[in-house]
Amino acid sequence: MDETPDSNKTIRLASQRVNLCLNSGNNPPNFFTPGQIIPLEGCMRGHGTYFDKNATTLKASVSGVLERVNQLILVKPLKSRYNGEVGDVVVGRIMEVQKKRWKVDTNSRLDAILQLSSVNLPGGELRLRSVEDERMMRKYLSEGDLISAEVQSIFSDGSLALHTRSLKYGKLSQGILVKVCPALVKRCKTHFQKLPFGVSLILSNNGYIWIYPTSDLNEEEGGGFLQNLDKRITTADRGVITRTRNCILALAASKMLLFDSSIIYAYEQSMKYEVHELLLPEAMLDIAILTQEILSRQTDD
Amino acid sequence: MPVDSRRLQGPETTFSYHLYVNKQPQTHSQWVKQVLKSNGKRSDGRKLDDIRKIFLKTSVMSQAKGSAYIEVGNTKVICSAFDPREIPNNNKFSLNGELFCEFKFANFSQKKRRGFIRDAEEKDLSVCLKRALEPAVCRHEFPNFQVDVYALVLEDDGSALAAAITCASLALADASIPMYDLVTALTLGVHGDHKFLDPTSEEERLCCHEPPGQNKNHGLIVLAYATELQQVTQLKQIGVMDSEFLIEASNSLSSHCSQTHKLSQQCLAQVVLKTTKEKKRLLELGETFKKMDVGSQKD
Amino acid sequence: MASLMLGEGEKMLILHGVEDDMRNDGRTRRKYRPMELETNVVSHANGSARLRLANTDILVGIKTEIDCPFPETPNLGKIEFFVDCSANATPAFEGRGGEDLAMEISNSLACAYNSFPLDQLCITKGEQCWKLYADILILECGGNLYDAVSIAVKAALSSTEVPKVVGTVLDGGTVDLVLSDDPFDCQKLDVRRAPLLVTLCKIGDFCVVDPTAEEEMCSVASMVVSVLENGTVSSSFKCGAGSLHSETVKEALKIGKEVGQSLNQELEEILLEEQNLGPKRELFGFLK
Repeated sequence: MDETPDSNKTIRLASQRVNLCLNSGNNPPNFFTPGQIIPLEGCMRGHGTYFDKNATTLKASVSGVLERVNQLILVKPLKSRYNGEVGDVVVGRIMEVQKKRWKVDTNSRLDAILQLSSVNLPGGELRLRSVEDERMMRKYLSEGDLISAEVQSIFSDGSLALHTRSLKYGKLSQGILVKVCPALVKRCKTHFQKLPFGVSLILSNNGYIWIYPTSDLNEEEGGGFLQNLDKRITTADRGVITRTRNCILALAASKMLLFDSSIIYAYEQSMKYEVHELLLPEAMLDIAILTQEILSRQTDD
Repeated sequence: MPVDSRRLQGPETTFSYHLYVNKQPQTHSQWVKQVLKSNGKRSDGRKLDDIRKIFLKTSVMSQAKGSAYIEVGNTKVICSAFDPREIPNNNKFSLNGELFCEFKFANFSQKKRRGFIRDAEEKDLSVCLKRALEPAVCRHEFPNFQVDVYALVLEDDGSALAAAITCASLALADASIPMYDLVTALTLGVHGDHKFLDPTSEEERLCCHEPPGQNKNHGLIVLAYATELQQVTQLKQIGVMDSEFLIEASNSLSSHCSQTHKLSQQCLAQVVLKTTKEKKRLLELGETFKKMDVGSQKD
Repeated sequence: MASLMLGEGEKMLILHGVEDDMRNDGRTRRKYRPMELETNVVSHANGSARLRLANTDILVGIKTEIDCPFPETPNLGKIEFFVDCSANATPAFEGRGGEDLAMEISNSLACAYNSFPLDQLCITKGEQCWKLYADILILECGGNLYDAVSIAVKAALSSTEVPKVVGTVLDGGTVDLVLSDDPFDCQKLDVRRAPLLVTLCKIGDFCVVDPTAEEEMCSVASMVVSVLENGTVSSSFKCGAGSLHSETVKEALKIGKEVGQSLNQELEEILLEEQNLGPKRELFGFLK
């Protein structure tokens, strides 16, 4: 074993605790706490705010940052579950199989719903849903399975309706799921990322990140309900996947935005460590700082 | 301590008069001598690696779906298993059936009177019993249901848990609960260089003390084994010993368990033989009745 | 935990990862996740410790009280373990939900601590002794509870200070206890024979040390081995609904012994290091 003696230590003292927070040179924005008066006049009430009894003063109802769109005032909570928007890419886990629909956990307040009618069934797109299909539902997707999907619409109670009517969506096969705060995932043009070192990511908007090996068959593989369980991931691929996982967790621990280049930089910086060393808080902080430096240098240029 | 108000309570601090009986050997070597005779035989005449005589019987209780009774020397345990029933207060669907086990010492089963309310030891042994039986039961055949198994130790003269495991597995088989295999269990008591297979309570007591010599190994090992599956379903060890010794001991215990396994099988088969004999007799009886009937109609 | 579910693909990856000796977080089969330990975090307890192992968070407080020894063992003190699965960890522990788990852990600790020398807790033979109450609070659980709890308990015991008491038997058989005037006149406990529990989770054909919650989902049976400083085993048992092959048991005991011994050693070193920080060290507690 070629480990540094420090990484061999598994028990540490609280006095050696590492603060994973980064200082970002930005000035902290204005925070509001529940009940605090928002000193603005003649505005419209948005999410995270309420009018008090005599409807004169606007108050915040969540702790967060004030945002203003023209006359609309809203307070965005610092930490929240996923608030879905139509068109978002999400990764979710099937929690329950019901009549003609699946309940999916997507880290939002309510379980999302995937209708049997909004999935592509094997054997062509234009096919009527038969009673047979209803019986086979558990065969396609059963409790515990992971899927990638797109938000189709939002019900009045706030729960999401998903669809997988595209070849890129469907059941996920072998890979690792990492859960991070949804706010940390940067909105990008595409949330399906193929990283240069043989690993692919679904950086879903709901904060569930799926890491899986890049394979030539990826395009055809997606969208179906087939899982390739026989294929064994090579040790080299596994090393890359686990390293990516630990890098993402390191960035998330320091509250860094997650997008393709931040992950790639973090991965490159992490090469000086063994994969398991990335579990140590010192290494996690080091990578986060280095990545932040590179990113800020880029924006300066 | 929790108290059951429905029962008559003795004075709060009573203790056994055995404490005043001055039979306790003074020195350690005297104690060992008392348990192990100089000719290498134990106080009941067994050799160190002999097990006591086992008596097994199934269907001893009429109310339970299946039941079994076991006598290992003076240790007597009675077990009953009940039909699968819906898991009470459970609203979640569970794919595998549950096994609910309760292990109880009768109040008079030991020298010291046991309390009526289940104490921590009994709860621990209940969990052990459950873990020992679970792997042998085809739990997927009764999803969302639970099977209750109750083991009551009538008399404890050592190895009560092992006897209860063997007995409970027979009771389950007798209740026609689908099982992969029968589980049998044995106890090994360790005290220094001496290894007592299937120890009595006196030997168990000795094994819980640290020997003064070089070899500090002491303690008890209970191993439950499913012979056909070749799987250890439970291993419970208390007392300080080397891991190498423990490995070796568990190996020898599993081979001994295979021998008692045959006994369990025999016991179950005998019931069938007996009932077929009985059935034959009844059939013959029926035949004669029929003949009589026919005869009477003719008249 | 019931709330955790895994798909077939994830399970397969974990299984193959264990076979390749490269787990999902990059660890080998025999490696622990980093832990963080702090002792004396609770001021009202005689000794306490808090351990964080990834998501698992354990707080142990030791209280000492005076009791009468059992008539069978007049010269021994008593130790008792209480585990409380706080509903803070998961809503499933609410009410009586965590009771079964709590009982299993406290019983396994009671079994494992049979090696602990209780004669150091004797005050006057047959009359008075110390009773240690080890109250274990599970604040968060992210897998591998047995190991985490046992490390926290041992650390808390090592920090425990028992007040010096002189007991004299008076004429009528009553005992007169005299507590030292100096509140700092305490004695530390000897924890050299306090065991650590090592869980060996069987995944595929291999035994894995320090399983994460996800890995625990992939396994049906594990061996828990309690190991002393010198490598001897003070108790062991199987937990989980599955069964093990004799060879697996053998391997588990072997790995458990080695891992447990080195863990014991490491704990001793780190406790010494903390002690060397002096009595005026800064307490970190729950603030990050």
